[in-house]
Amino acid sequence: MEKILDKKRLDDWAAALTNYEVQAPSQEDGIWGFQPVNGPVRLDHTNTKQPPKEFAFPQREVFFTFEQIKGEAPRLTQVLPQAPRHAVFGVRPCDGRGVPRMDKVFNDHVEDTYYNTRRKNVAYVGLACNKPPSANCFCLSVGGSPVSTDGLDVLMTDLGDRYFVAAVTDAGKALMAEAAKVFSEPSATDQKQVKQAHAAAVAHPQRAVNNPDQAPAKLKASFKSPLWDELARACIGCGICTFLCPTCHCFDINDEVHGKAPLKGQRVRTWDNCQFPDFTMHSSGHNPREGTGARLRQRVGHKFQYFYENFGMHQCVGCGRCITECPVGIDIINVVNKVAENAA
Amino acid sequence: MINLKDVRDAARDMLAKGEVRAVIGYRRGSRGMFAEPAFLDRPEEADELVWDPTCFHNLSLYLVHDRKHLAHAGKKSGAPVAIVAKGCDARSIVVLLQEHYFGRDDVYIIGVSCEGTGVVDERKLARHLNGAQASNAAFDGDDFVFTTAQGEKRLPAREVMADRCLECRNPFPKEHNLVYGEDKTGRQLEAPFAALDRFEAQGAGERWENWARHFDRCIRCFACRSVCPMCYCDECVVDSITFPISTETTADEKANRIRWIERSAARSENITYLMTRAMHLAGRCTDCGECDRACPVNVPIRLLNTKMEKEARDQFGFEPGASIGGPSLVASFLDKDPGEFIR
Repeated sequence: MEKILDKKRLDDWAAALTNYEVQAPSQEDGIWGFQPVNGPVRLDHTNTKQPPKEFAFPQREVFFTFEQIKGEAPRLTQVLPQAPRHAVFGVRPCDGRGVPRMDKVFNDHVEDTYYNTRRKNVAYVGLACNKPPSANCFCLSVGGSPVSTDGLDVLMTDLGDRYFVAAVTDAGKALMAEAAKVFSEPSATDQKQVKQAHAAAVAHPQRAVNNPDQAPAKLKASFKSPLWDELARACIGCGICTFLCPTCHCFDINDEVHGKAPLKGQRVRTWDNCQFPDFTMHSSGHNPREGTGARLRQRVGHKFQYFYENFGMHQCVGCGRCITECPVGIDIINVVNKVAENAA
Repeated sequence: MINLKDVRDAARDMLAKGEVRAVIGYRRGSRGMFAEPAFLDRPEEADELVWDPTCFHNLSLYLVHDRKHLAHAGKKSGAPVAIVAKGCDARSIVVLLQEHYFGRDDVYIIGVSCEGTGVVDERKLARHLNGAQASNAAFDGDDFVFTTAQGEKRLPAREVMADRCLECRNPFPKEHNLVYGEDKTGRQLEAPFAALDRFEAQGAGERWENWARHFDRCIRCFACRSVCPMCYCDECVVDSITFPISTETTADEKANRIRWIERSAARSENITYLMTRAMHLAGRCTDCGECDRACPVNVPIRLLNTKMEKEARDQFGFEPGASIGGPSLVASFLDKDPGEFIR
């Protein structure tokens, strides 16, 4: 399904989605983030600081509550997410490509009820990148594209005074069907212009991971490379690179106790992070990933080797957030290229 | 005006003579014009050093890393480590020396004066460049000069400088072994605590509304803690697993460890974390602004720290990082202190 949407009618589309909580990028305190739409939708963002992964994988998820009266057996009550249906506008194609990667992680071997309950209620409305939103974009070199539809339900392309809107999935068609009247049929000129816009988007120069197909083998051969320590020398061990990543999915599980008599609390899942020194700390005090080099190797290896070995694709989608936001200049493009160049 | 060649020559010379184990400075990163921390072990690497308005990092953090590595490896320090330090960075080193984190002979301070300016705030700069990418940044008097694809862009430094630089009381590193650049002590583009005073001019309701929004936004990536040279504790109150464990620690003890702050990035936990950190920095924070810069979600952490700094100044006339021999705020008291409990 391909339609034309006059920019003036974008708000009408959003307003027609009464069965959804509509989310779109807005700026608060200088930060672009997805917020419930409460006013006009303006898709003039670069990219959001955080990817839209929170809709299926929030930073905090309650699994169950527990209560135990002294002397009695503990009572557990499962808490399934009660998330509304979300229509998320303004998703960049790199972040869209993050979605199927997360789907794999949370459905391989074990189907994660919490993730899937949320995930099936999210529709991702993508916005093609006519220009790279960041100087550190590198989607093209990791198999993506600024006009990729992978993981999206709808892809919108900005054609100046109107959007070219293409449904990618049935969920996308349903979103468009909710407001059939706001759309019009694309003309031959529209079709020509969207092709031109996409060709121009793909032609924009970007930074690049060199020979990404060879990266898994090169990284595998470089497990013991001294370069890891060298490249991670400045690493401060914070969680920016992974917490802002559209495909990082590691988590921790803790019991949060809210009362002692009776014992009451919640078992919660929260994001965790392979760059934190305590991530791999054993209760003995031994830490198998002692230094920043081993931890950088883990992050980069996961993106460009281990995930590839497991699922046949790079986990990294080239959004560039980890590069732009690193306080000390650690640059995953540079790391992969340097390690690969020096591989045996 | 600092002549970069002088800094490089000095670094090369001390590495060649083996007077220092390493030189910690700045070099051009792989990400456009921005500088990144550089660790030089060999004299031939000295030409990598740069000095420009993107040298915003407080490198004294890496002196702390170095001590931790040495301790972990059970090694003695040997020759000192040289470090390029701005005024605020040098004051951080002074605090670390006051706290005996290392000795004066363990560090060789290559001071660099920010002279009439300071370093850039990446967010302010991005707004001024309006989407254009700069490939180089340079100091030029009261201006910063950026090279972009559209040509040279000259901006008055004060428009793109970090807030802490605008309020900086001393851009000159008083404590040093070697120093480059002019001493422009007393140069202040804004009054001390100007940003804090602006914030505090709001009513309590408005202040709370703002802080609630900021606290809610915190994602607990701990970049503020990780980037801070003063946050050197081996055990941090927020890390639920770093409590002392021995072979005698029972499973029950491990399970019942005290957790002051849950891992959930919830408002109550975020407040406890950020306020605890601010309290632990009282009298120690030299307003290098790294926590504020590193925060990916723009939590104005600096306001919390400068609030503590202002309290220390108003209550005790205390200025952090002023002199190595000087007292530290929380490890000293005055005979004339009105509080009986402390005397």
